[in-house]
Amino acid sequence: MNFDLDDEQRDLASAAGDFLRGAASPADARAMLDSDDPAGAEPQPGRAALVSSGFATITVPEDLGGGGGSLLDLAVVAEQAGRVLAGPSFVGYARAAVLLAGDDDRLRALADGSTSYAVVDGDGPTLDAVGADRFLSLRGDDLVCGPGTVTTRAPMDPTRGLGQVSVSDGDVVATDARLRWDHALRVGRVVLAAEGLGTAARALEIGIEYAKERQAFGRAIGSYQAVKHSLVDVYVQIENLRSLVWWAAWAADQAPDELPLAAAAAKGAVSTTLQAAAETLIQVHGGIGFTWEHDAHLFWRRAKVDRFLLGDDVGAFDEVARLALAAAAAVEAESVGAAR
Amino acid sequence: MDFEDTPDEAAWRSTVRSFIEEHRDELGQRRDQRSFDDVVSRQRQALLYDGGLVGVTWPVEAGGQGGTPMQQAIIDQEMSRAGVPGLINLIGIGMCGPTVIHHGSDDQKDRYLKRLLRADDIWCQLFSEPASGSDLAALRTKAVQTEDGSWRISGQKVWTTLAHLADYGIVLTRTDPDVAKHRGLTMFVVPMKAEGVTVRPLRQMSGGADFNEVFFDDVVVPDSERLGDVGDGWRVALTTLMSERLTLGGGGTEIGMSASTVAEHVARQIGGLSSDRQALVRQDFGRAYVDTLGIRYTGYRLLSAISKGAFPGPEASAGKLAGTKVARDLADLSVRLLGDDAAYAETADGSSSWQDAQAGLPGMAIAGGTNEVLRNVLGERVLGLPAEPRADKGITFKESIR
Repeated sequence: MNFDLDDEQRDLASAAGDFLRGAASPADARAMLDSDDPAGAEPQPGRAALVSSGFATITVPEDLGGGGGSLLDLAVVAEQAGRVLAGPSFVGYARAAVLLAGDDDRLRALADGSTSYAVVDGDGPTLDAVGADRFLSLRGDDLVCGPGTVTTRAPMDPTRGLGQVSVSDGDVVATDARLRWDHALRVGRVVLAAEGLGTAARALEIGIEYAKERQAFGRAIGSYQAVKHSLVDVYVQIENLRSLVWWAAWAADQAPDELPLAAAAAKGAVSTTLQAAAETLIQVHGGIGFTWEHDAHLFWRRAKVDRFLLGDDVGAFDEVARLALAAAAAVEAESVGAAR
Repeated sequence: MDFEDTPDEAAWRSTVRSFIEEHRDELGQRRDQRSFDDVVSRQRQALLYDGGLVGVTWPVEAGGQGGTPMQQAIIDQEMSRAGVPGLINLIGIGMCGPTVIHHGSDDQKDRYLKRLLRADDIWCQLFSEPASGSDLAALRTKAVQTEDGSWRISGQKVWTTLAHLADYGIVLTRTDPDVAKHRGLTMFVVPMKAEGVTVRPLRQMSGGADFNEVFFDDVVVPDSERLGDVGDGWRVALTTLMSERLTLGGGGTEIGMSASTVAEHVARQIGGLSSDRQALVRQDFGRAYVDTLGIRYTGYRLLSAISKGAFPGPEASAGKLAGTKVARDLADLSVRLLGDDAAYAETADGSSSWQDAQAGLPGMAIAGGTNEVLRNVLGERVLGLPAEPRADKGITFKESIR
């Protein structure tokens, strides 16, 4: 067993971090909120820059213009994107790469940026619907791709490009596509969790920096156990989330049988962890923490919205429980069988 | 990244597995704590030692095999998979032995280490005192050197696991009260059957009695039983505590409550509930199960890092913090599934396993360093937050107790 990133993945994360820090920041997320049309504003770095950087389409095969990389590669990049609240999400690219497998023309269009895809989950809010050219959705068991109409509302987090999509008739990309759809959704959950990992880790860092500087009653507030322990509890959650994200990404690449449990676990863990990280960030800052001027709420917005994307945390925990209980019942039945 | 065994690991796993299968009957089956028998436990450990499955990571000259932490993890996994009860001398192997290896004389190593691994001798660790648990260096048990060079130890220790069965212990004592409290300490090996040692079991809230208080009344220990230099006991104790960190937090070990056992329990009970209760139970179980997965895979990361030569730092304590929390969540869920039986100390059919388990868990958040102290350590040493102000800095032990 070797449960660790390799040097290439570390280098990839570092290169992605350099690019993304230069191309997006919480200040951009704030500018979107402050714009006249938050729902329509384009998040940074934006689709064109993400695609031309090559990071967004790492999982598209090389001969079609992508990076030919693994989901784990994409996950370490997505973590860096989450740290700077970059948009659009890497989730859409990852899902589209799975859904369009076998459709070389559309995959090429995904990789060269000539078409922007968004994936529509029924009537719910669609991630990065704003600015998408084509929408992938499930009609019966057919995977279809076509244009659609996006209705936006006042966004909680404008970097997520949320909208309700009514899909027009489209081309059938694949029939009998239910399993592929489910797989793509799980891959999307892993990437969403990777972004949330980065967002939570950055929120913790900002909280720690402040707790070292801010003085109260004659000493730095981070020296008080009440503050210190809250930050440590978030740190512990983040480290466990990191393990779940890596495991789930590895499972998507190497052990598909483990992916349903791993993806649901990562989705559940990121929901609770990012929320705890964002709320702790606000709490550590005291009054400043809930002002409009402070960045804390930009992280908090991600937490509040991400929780509901690609199925909510309640559904994720329920799925984890069903899978674990089914496995346990099978063990039980086997031992009863053996006893006879 | 790869979760599969390497060829070496696979070969080792198969060696371990066949040994366990071959000795299935002698090794016994994991049962509840009440059926614990120390003689049988010693025999089991001796059998495993003779089979090469105890102390693999220890150096060959210390009776081990110079093996890897991954080999040890594979042994743990296979023993757990087969339901083989744990070793009786875990504190000896995990904490006392490594301290003797690092700081003991050649003579001490020869006399003690192999016997410890075979459970010919049981060991305990005599650190905590009634007035110094988390603030370990504030301890008061004193050792005074006499003219013939031997030492006389007097004082009281407490929360000493297995002292009632132990043959030897490592004891941290104060040998100089006129210097700062960390500087005046010295460590010794003490025979637990020596004259002047009194062991009194302490019954815990769970009803079990693994802990003891231990009284030293002018116990004479020769200078050859000193571990490390006079006044260097704090550094020696840190070796023990760092080894403890690995024993408690490493490798994704589950604390007090196995998630798979709970899963089987929930799977058996859940069908009898109304559908809305089932949904609530699945929520609770799903949340807790995700936590156990996170802890398990973080343990794997730690194990991988150790395999590459890293030493477990304070971040290893994160597993204990998360593990004690989820163990309580799982125990609470399991007990609630008993229905009305949950209000009693045992179910109507006489099983007390879930009730006992929940009563053992508050202690886990205290044992091995309280969770509050571990959070301080993580906050200061890993997150780099400023230290808690201390009132005992720059003064002698004597001044600090006034």
